[in-house]
Amino acid sequence: MDTYAIEADSVTKVYLNRQDEVHALKPISFRIHPGEFVSLVGPSGCGKSTVLSLMAGLIRPSSGCLRIFGKEVTAPSNRVSYMLQQDCLLDWRTVEDNITLGLEFRGRKNRQTSHDARQLLELLGLRHTLKLFPSQLSGGMRQRVALVRTLAVEPDLLLLDEPFSAVDYQTKLHLEKLLTDGLKIREMTALLVTHDLEEALSLSDRILVMGGQPGEIRRTLEVPEELRSADPLTARGMPSFRPLFNELWKEMESHDKTVD
Amino acid sequence: MIKPLTRWLTRGAQSEIHADYLRRHRLRDWGVGIARAAILILFVAGWEVSARQGWIDPFLFSSPTRVWELFLEMTAKGELFHHIGITVSETVLGFILGTAAGTALATLIWASPFLSRVLDPYLVILNSLPKVALGPLFIVTIGAGFGSILAMGVAITVIITTLVMYNSFQGVDPDYLRLARAFGANRFQLFSRIIFPASIPDLIAALKVNVGLSWVGVIVGEFLVSKNGLGYLIIYGFQVFNLTLVMMSLLIVAVLATLMYDMVSRMEKRLLRHRNT
Repeated sequence: MDTYAIEADSVTKVYLNRQDEVHALKPISFRIHPGEFVSLVGPSGCGKSTVLSLMAGLIRPSSGCLRIFGKEVTAPSNRVSYMLQQDCLLDWRTVEDNITLGLEFRGRKNRQTSHDARQLLELLGLRHTLKLFPSQLSGGMRQRVALVRTLAVEPDLLLLDEPFSAVDYQTKLHLEKLLTDGLKIREMTALLVTHDLEEALSLSDRILVMGGQPGEIRRTLEVPEELRSADPLTARGMPSFRPLFNELWKEMESHDKTVD
Repeated sequence: MIKPLTRWLTRGAQSEIHADYLRRHRLRDWGVGIARAAILILFVAGWEVSARQGWIDPFLFSSPTRVWELFLEMTAKGELFHHIGITVSETVLGFILGTAAGTALATLIWASPFLSRVLDPYLVILNSLPKVALGPLFIVTIGAGFGSILAMGVAITVIITTLVMYNSFQGVDPDYLRLARAFGANRFQLFSRIIFPASIPDLIAALKVNVGLSWVGVIVGEFLVSKNGLGYLIIYGFQVFNLTLVMMSLLIVAVLATLMYDMVSRMEKRLLRHRNT
């Protein structure tokens, strides 16, 4: 029997407050295979981040069923790691103590896992920052440290909430490359939320286009093999890249008058 | 004569423009220092001269020489240090206990949103209430002595600390909490690893305010009940019309309060040296 990494079955989310109820998601269903890289794109307010928060176990679905590796999500899972746009490094801790934060919370911090985390830091070219504090690092370095912290818990599923949208273009390309290389080696599954269509196309195997309020999945786009296997920078320069990009762009514009 | 002065003002210069820059800034630093000293000297000298010339009544306003003579006399007898010791220990204890209790209370209401809503109006009332008005109540319940004065020092700092710290806990960036919760952090871990450390700058700001407040509480407390301490010396001096004693005690309080504030500032620099402002 085949177990999906993610299995969403008519999942909805309604946010309640005293005045009103806000429907964030129409019933959505999709499946993601282990090892797949899937992007969620769509205009702001279409429920992309809600989907990610549901996966992370931070909020419960209002109805429907959401399974990660065959297990229904009721709390944050140990097999998942979550990365945000903001690096969220703790200013009062050294880089060394920041990268093991996830391990600490999961009760898995020991000599071996700390050593592995340090090796990962070295792999990303940040060995010299081990004893430094976040305030001494540049924006790109901080986000790389955040990436190390995300990967140090050795997740099977990576949830990425616009992780590279606050860094400059060059750093973004560099981080994308590091990420895709890392994912291939570890055979991780990844779900990326972004409104950068280029990023979605150059990284993903499959793109889910969301839209509307409440949000729904409007279209699924399979990324051709040649783009998938190329690294993010090369993919951006391939002849098949532009037509797909335009297609995605039109897809988003046709449904929503306002695209930001 | 000018040459050595210029050379000294531009020491460590890397270039001509740097020398010019250093010279201007160091001259400005000097100006500030001299102006500060001048104010103090003018004040003390003005006070002394006015008292001697009879422009102000030396019986009411005393004079620097009289204050100094009294200071030497009381120091020689040793009684001054006794009074200073008592007041300082009351103040330090009051402000440490007040800050600690306030932080503990803030932690409690953070841990229970229900309790936070229940206690909210009471905290507002207690915060608005002038705490020194509670003095008589402390005296009848705790007795006229050290306990009452300490209670005053604590009462005046605890509520404001609670409100400041609770606000600080609430103000921690929600993204940090999302991240920690996604990593499976429980509420205790959330508090001890993220929320409390993130609030330390506000805790130090509260400490700085509390240094001043606890002096108010303790001095007023000593006015009301004490037979010892600087507050007692002030009120006693006033009652027997020994204004020299009042002035001297006032000056000592000013110096001690400044020293305490300075210590908290040093601690702040040490604790926050790695943080962005």
